[in-house]
Amino acid sequence: MDPHSQLLLEQFKESLPVYRKLKDIVLKLINDSIRKNGLFVSSISSRIKTAQSLSGKLELKGMKYRTITDITDLLGIRVITFYSNEVDKIAALAEQIFDIDWDNSVDKRKMYSHDRFGYMSLHYICRIPENIYSDPEMPELNKIPFELQMRTVLQHAWASIYHDTGYKTNVEVPVEYLRALSRLAGLLEIADEEFKNIRTDLDEYRRKIRTLVKNGSFEDIPLNGDSFRNYTELGPFDPLNEKIASINNAEIEKVSIRPYFEILVNMGIKTIGELDRFLRNNVENAYQLALHQIGGTDLDIISSNIGIQNLCIVHILKQGRGLEGLEWFYDQLYGKQPRNAQRARRTLQQAKKLAIIKEEK
Amino acid sequence: MEITKEQKDSELAISLKGRLDNSTAAQFEDTVKSSLGGVKSLILDFKELEYLSSAGLRIILSAQKIMNKQGSMTIRNVNDTIMEVFEMTGFADILTIE
Repeated sequence: MDPHSQLLLEQFKESLPVYRKLKDIVLKLINDSIRKNGLFVSSISSRIKTAQSLSGKLELKGMKYRTITDITDLLGIRVITFYSNEVDKIAALAEQIFDIDWDNSVDKRKMYSHDRFGYMSLHYICRIPENIYSDPEMPELNKIPFELQMRTVLQHAWASIYHDTGYKTNVEVPVEYLRALSRLAGLLEIADEEFKNIRTDLDEYRRKIRTLVKNGSFEDIPLNGDSFRNYTELGPFDPLNEKIASINNAEIEKVSIRPYFEILVNMGIKTIGELDRFLRNNVENAYQLALHQIGGTDLDIISSNIGIQNLCIVHILKQGRGLEGLEWFYDQLYGKQPRNAQRARRTLQQAKKLAIIKEEK
Repeated sequence: MEITKEQKDSELAISLKGRLDNSTAAQFEDTVKSSLGGVKSLILDFKELEYLSSAGLRIILSAQKIMNKQGSMTIRNVNDTIMEVFEMTGFADILTIE
């Protein structure tokens, strides 16, 4: 290694504490920004170049660099996103936080002509501006560049496997393997596009369901995880829970209603309209059942699922499903267990006072 | 009410005997609060528990919340009277009862 490269290597070794601090600050800034903007990414990783790796680089092209701050990838940060459009969102966040060296940044996604496929990634060379972070003890922090790589999970998979071949440039790869790798790059580009479209369509579907539910247009909305969540966010079971709570002046402990979604589906409820009717048709009996159950006790804390629990019981009994129906309900709610038969008998006994029991089918 | 604790590594078993009501709830709460540090598996044995009031139920629920964050909680040997309390109040589906 020539003396100039040797000097650069020594400078780097001495500056390692600064690089480590820079890495921590950059990671924190990126993580905070991603969280604040409600984005989710697959992973964020970082690495500081090893002295050995830098030594190899300097041996090849040491004269290209005047100082170590001319070497832009001594600190590398990689953000892997799930969807291709999120690469641009992360890039926009990076542009808000860091000073970008546009001359040395590269968008590999736009480098290929229409008939070429290969490594796809967005690389920004960044520095931390003083107004974002500065440390009088370490003024170099604002001068050292670092490389921020942004790509999707699939782009990352391709790049990792390409890297695993051990080749550094396209020209070294035997042509048949290069063609196979290019073919895969094209395939993954299609897959990335499809994943993005699915996600965009799902977001659109969720927005539509949310609007329909909020407007009370329940009839045509299929009962699924999204519509159930949107419907329950309106608090349709709250009045029943509050009425039950008033029996003993009880406190209502909020718990997740999610386990009931599958039970309602298995009960044959197909739309939000049907779910709304299930509530309205059974609400008084569900209250009466609770009155019989806890009216004679001093229990003054109830779960926010008490309303829907009793609605299900009443609905099953009104359908004439009797003891067997109740046992089925408890199997769904608690999982199959011997105690469920006894639970069903006890509930049936309590419900007999309500005159809602039809003859068993 | 009698409270017995048995700890093996990060597994803690608490057995209750008697009535967990308004007058004994504080005793149970103190035991729970002071014992859950580092516990990954909490077992509440109700074999000899005869009665459970709302005050006791509140402490069981707060123990469940703590254990949701640091491990798991299982309630064992629940008699019919106490099981009825869990069911009538709608909490049986969020507790692991064996």
